[in-house]
Amino acid sequence: MFEFARYDAAKRVRGSVYLSVGISLLAAFAVWAYPSYSEAMDMEQLREAFPEPMIQAFNIQTMASLEGFLAVELYMFGWIILLGLYMAYSAASIVADDVDRGRMDTLLSMPVSRPRLAIERFAALGVPILMVNVVTPVVVLVSADLIGESLSAVDVIALHLLSIPYLFACAGIGLLASVLFDRASIAQRVALGVTFGIYLVESLLRGTEYEALGVIAPMRYFDPNEVLLDGTYDLVGAAVLLGMTAVLLVVSQVIFVRRDI
Amino acid sequence: MGAIELEGLTKDYGPVLANDDVSFTVESGEVFGYLGPNGAGKTTTIRMLLGFLNPTAGTARVLGTDIRDRKALVEAKRRIGHLSDDQAFDEQATGAEILDLHAAVKGDERRAELLDLFEPPLDRRVRDYSSGNVQKLGLVTTFMHDPDLVILDEPTNGLDPLVKHQFAEFLRAERDRGVTVFLSSHILSEVRRLCDRVGIIREGRLVTVDPVDSLLRRTGKVVRLHSAEPIPVEFVDLDGVHDLETTVSDGRGVDPEAAFTECTFTFTGDINELLDRLPDHEMVDVSIEEAPLEDVFLRFYGGEGDV
Repeated sequence: MFEFARYDAAKRVRGSVYLSVGISLLAAFAVWAYPSYSEAMDMEQLREAFPEPMIQAFNIQTMASLEGFLAVELYMFGWIILLGLYMAYSAASIVADDVDRGRMDTLLSMPVSRPRLAIERFAALGVPILMVNVVTPVVVLVSADLIGESLSAVDVIALHLLSIPYLFACAGIGLLASVLFDRASIAQRVALGVTFGIYLVESLLRGTEYEALGVIAPMRYFDPNEVLLDGTYDLVGAAVLLGMTAVLLVVSQVIFVRRDI
Repeated sequence: MGAIELEGLTKDYGPVLANDDVSFTVESGEVFGYLGPNGAGKTTTIRMLLGFLNPTAGTARVLGTDIRDRKALVEAKRRIGHLSDDQAFDEQATGAEILDLHAAVKGDERRAELLDLFEPPLDRRVRDYSSGNVQKLGLVTTFMHDPDLVILDEPTNGLDPLVKHQFAEFLRAERDRGVTVFLSSHILSEVRRLCDRVGIIREGRLVTVDPVDSLLRRTGKVVRLHSAEPIPVEFVDLDGVHDLETTVSDGRGVDPEAAFTECTFTFTGDINELLDRLPDHEMVDVSIEEAPLEDVFLRFYGGEGDV
């Protein structure tokens, strides 16, 4: 058991290191930039200066504290958008890329069922998800300490823990695209488009009469502001994200098992 | 019980009927050739047998397992080796890493022995492999777990002549060990060298299943003669001459109906009878070749839609 998970996990280590370094740089830069911003201007005015759709899209609550600033600059942008899209994109190649390049026949010639193959390879996405969520909070906390700002370590760690189900849910969208399309490039584009599309639906329709549409969006169940500003952890949201991941996995399996390759 | 039993196996792609009610049995311990021109439906049959495609109708059993029983088929694959017609591996991995993965999943009792024989470059990344090396690595993954049945789709694709020869010897030794071999090919000479029995597929339909000897008697040779001086057409008045075409080089003043300097025909008669006549004339060139597969089909199974 787990041969494919191990194989894929080993393959993902190098990319995950690059990803963690990149995101850590983004994090360090956000923390480092905060004092010069807050000294140069009134951060509440900066918030007001953003156009309303952007305040809405990035769910900008306040920028007058390091927590609020990071929630917007690092977590809304880096986690919810960037990493969410990256996970959807990566997962989109799990099945489609092998089908596309004729490798799926070789893999399925081995005594392995399609569900096992897909689940194990999906699980290997845990490598980038975990690595980036272990490295970045350390960088955030250490850099905050260096600029003399205090951040709640518990809140930061909780935020990163809560982002794990979110990122798996985004990967689930990618997996679904991966079993629906034979060509990796199409599956990847669809995964990116759909993930970004439902992010827009959720963020721009918030507070309108169409708000209910956002119920299918993973972004509704993971809110960095809530964790960093209020110190409240939405465990129900995390459970919903895990459930969403499970549903996406099951639907992907059913489609993958029945289809021709 | 046959190692592979097809019962009315059908795959309908709408505009194309890739397999049309195909039924035959591959007996345990034989080398069975599945012969047909490119696009005849050979790969479709093989991919249904391995559970990659769902049959539209009919079914098959592989080592006694119904191919529609997904779970049982996965288990049966512990005893099956498969080489695809377009073998592909993770390009980022080295040959050794690929073999390690296969070994962890299905075992590698014969890995060392096969590596001695086929020698793919294990330390190199698959990305840098030639197509011949990919095929060699594929042969190792196909046989490394000592399967009872191997299904090979165009196995000699990309192999150089020396390795082809090694492969042919290897396959015969496998058969002698009791391994059942089902291999597809579009090359008649390959099938005749390797196989005990041959099934011929054309446009998705099984045309015939024959022992290889009787097939060879029926397929014939293409003979081309080029003589220095005109030869009377009576020269080729032999049993088993088909599709005779004759020409006379210009300026000979010879009736093309009566004599020729060049001729081509397909010959299914006794080759000695033909050779006996040759010394009477001075020849510029003579060739006797395997008949192209398409010609064989046209001769024995009729033309388009006339099978």
